[in-house]
Amino acid sequence: MLVLSRKAGEGFLIGDDITITIIEAKGGTIRIGIDAPKDKKIFRQEVYDRIRQENVEASRWNPVDIDSLGDTIKTRKR
Amino acid sequence: MEKIQTRFGIIEYENSNLLHFPAGMIGLPNLRNFIVIPPKKEGPLFWIQNVDDPDFAFILTDPSNFFLDYKIVPDDSEKNSLQIEDDKDCYTLSIVTVPPDQNITVNLAAPILYSPQTNRAIQIILEGNRYQTRTPLPSA
Repeated sequence: MLVLSRKAGEGFLIGDDITITIIEAKGGTIRIGIDAPKDKKIFRQEVYDRIRQENVEASRWNPVDIDSLGDTIKTRKR
Repeated sequence: MEKIQTRFGIIEYENSNLLHFPAGMIGLPNLRNFIVIPPKKEGPLFWIQNVDDPDFAFILTDPSNFFLDYKIVPDDSEKNSLQIEDDKDCYTLSIVTVPPDQNITVNLAAPILYSPQTNRAIQIILEGNRYQTRTPLPSA
């Protein structure tokens, strides 16, 4: 991993279309500004990791589930 | 006609019918191409089987079956990924989790946007605390 030291107000670029700026570092929290094209999705690491884990767990279902479940679920739409 | 071996047995499919996730699923970027399996009996659940890694299959449902006001409008970059221009061509699907007690939950925090016109889909994350990854179905 590349490790850089930056002060508040300084920044760096990733490629030529993503700019990261350190806004402020205070009390153990660092505020970061990100300028990136709209099609580059930006996720907090813990949120991304949690959705990944949910996806993995959702894929572990049993083939017998689907027919039996379909009978017990009530929908609200007519 | 192509074939894959899955835990459900051998499944045959046509490449032209695959549902394509250009960016894969969140955290699982190589899960790009899925066979859509309709329910055997009428019901709100169906499933998709990945062909890139046969270990992965997901149960999906239309969340508006259960949550009447849950509606996701795609932004421009999402429409671009789906290769559509009109919001009306985009439908929302939710991934269903089946825990051991069979009380299923739906992931309203990371829905799938899907366009039947282009057979493309993307999974997105709704930031904030409004929606939960394991939302129980409303009791009838």
